[in-house]
Amino acid sequence: MMSLPANHLLCIALLLMVVPAAACASPVTRSLSTAEPGAGEVFTVSLSIEGMTLGGVVETLPAGYAFVATDLADDRVLARGQQVAFAVMNDSRITYQVRAPASGSGDITGRWEDFLGESDGQVAASHVAADGIEAPVESGGGDPVPPPSQETGSPFAVLAAVAALLLASGRGGRR
Amino acid sequence: MNRRCLLALALLLIVAAQASAAPGDGIPGDADGDRVLTPAEYTAAALTYLDAAYMGGAGELTRTDIQDAAWISACWDGRPREVTDSSGRTVTLYRPLRRVVTFNGEALETLRSLGFDMEKVVAVDKYSKEKSTFFPECREKANVGSIWSPDMEKVLAVRPDAVFLYATISTAACDDIQRKLEASSPGIRVFRFDCFKPATYPREIRTIASMAGKSERGDEFASFYTSTMDRVRDGTAGVPADERVRVYFEYWFDYKTVAAGSGYNEKLELAGGMNPFAGETAEYPIIDPEAVIVTDPEVVVKLAGQGLAFGGYAGHDIAALEGIRTALAQRPGWTSIAAVEDNRIYVIHSDILGGAQHFIGTAYLAKWFYPDRFADLDPHAIHQRYLTGFQGIDFDLASEGTFVYP
Repeated sequence: MMSLPANHLLCIALLLMVVPAAACASPVTRSLSTAEPGAGEVFTVSLSIEGMTLGGVVETLPAGYAFVATDLADDRVLARGQQVAFAVMNDSRITYQVRAPASGSGDITGRWEDFLGESDGQVAASHVAADGIEAPVESGGGDPVPPPSQETGSPFAVLAAVAALLLASGRGGRR
Repeated sequence: MNRRCLLALALLLIVAAQASAAPGDGIPGDADGDRVLTPAEYTAAALTYLDAAYMGGAGELTRTDIQDAAWISACWDGRPREVTDSSGRTVTLYRPLRRVVTFNGEALETLRSLGFDMEKVVAVDKYSKEKSTFFPECREKANVGSIWSPDMEKVLAVRPDAVFLYATISTAACDDIQRKLEASSPGIRVFRFDCFKPATYPREIRTIASMAGKSERGDEFASFYTSTMDRVRDGTAGVPADERVRVYFEYWFDYKTVAAGSGYNEKLELAGGMNPFAGETAEYPIIDPEAVIVTDPEVVVKLAGQGLAFGGYAGHDIAALEGIRTALAQRPGWTSIAAVEDNRIYVIHSDILGGAQHFIGTAYLAKWFYPDRFADLDPHAIHQRYLTGFQGIDFDLASEGTFVYP
């Protein structure tokens, strides 16, 4: 029977600290008033939210697409470049408007965090194409920042991984 | 520096860095520091966090910070929570309980009754860990020993932000643990509760519920508990002192009984029993066998449990409890006492009389002492509702465990 050496088990245990939590069923779904807006047309994006009392959603728009407005109060929204953050407070639906560029296509992506439920995940991507024409984006700016790791895992996980590697290499050297 | 030194250093850094993440003296997101997290402050904090976490913005709030801020906003109305425990000490909470250690198994059980997230209990006392049928989720948790023999290194290793100890029993041992904890981890929050005394349990339920953000559930559970205890009190209130049923209550060990001051005597008297040995000096006196015969008890109650290890949650062993009862009836000279003549000898397990479940055992006592007065009282149903509705464990009393006989 094969048995895992102790150092391998330790490595696995420590690496598990680094691996993000498994994705949960998303409480946030997105729908668009149109996936093929006309050039310069303002269209509506709706986020349906289920079972999230306090949390947040960050939407990332394709390059060239611009956030216009939302039905949420101003103090619950933050726009930066191609990204828009919404503070969710017992909302079942959030809508916002986006202006399409003259041309260009891409995905609207999103991430959600349920602060009370202590879970997070991705909102399924929604594809949009101005005038229904698939066209490459002309400039960057839509790359989302990678999601944060669990706090207790971030600085400590790196140290733990270093320790695991050192241990593994030390044990390996004696074989 | 060799690899072993590097490894030791790295592990030390991990422990030190995580230990420094103790709860602070402020609510995260409380921008003006007035100890109140307003909805506006919470919203600003949420956006600041999302900005820093996903949008490349600057901000110092961690994920735990914003989760705590949301929790405090939702559960404590954005304000710190002042808690006065059963030792009379008041502690101000600025953060929810995230890493709990319990030396008090009754407090652990109460937390579960209140729907507290048991994942946040990181270590338990050795007795709770041994009760793997009742506390299956504790099998893999760290074992911190007992209040009499605590494993302090283990306690500190699990980095608790809250530790539960007893309030009024073994106070010297609990005081010692508290002193050591507060000296080594200044941010740690130590709470002293009993969770097994009828006089204080309802208040403790509500206090712990408030700490855990489960006030509504606390009210529900406290009502369930007090409805049983009030039913017993009301049912025996009209019994004159000289008509109270004479009860000989025997502890696990032969001829060891209980007297005034002991928890078992309190429950016996609550149920309307008259304990002829209540006036003994010791709380758990050993008496002369002849004295039992002389007092001629109308009811005999024998305790099973740790020192007479049959039944309870660990085993469905009716025959063992029946054997205990038969042996009692056959003791020399007992054939003439009223309890034996009237077939009123009962065996009860300490699981439902000594700890947080004492209300179930007290209901059984009342029914045994005054069957007519408590004809409609159903301790078995109360017990099952407690397990299913509050403890949330899959345990069918019809086929599992043995708690009373007959």
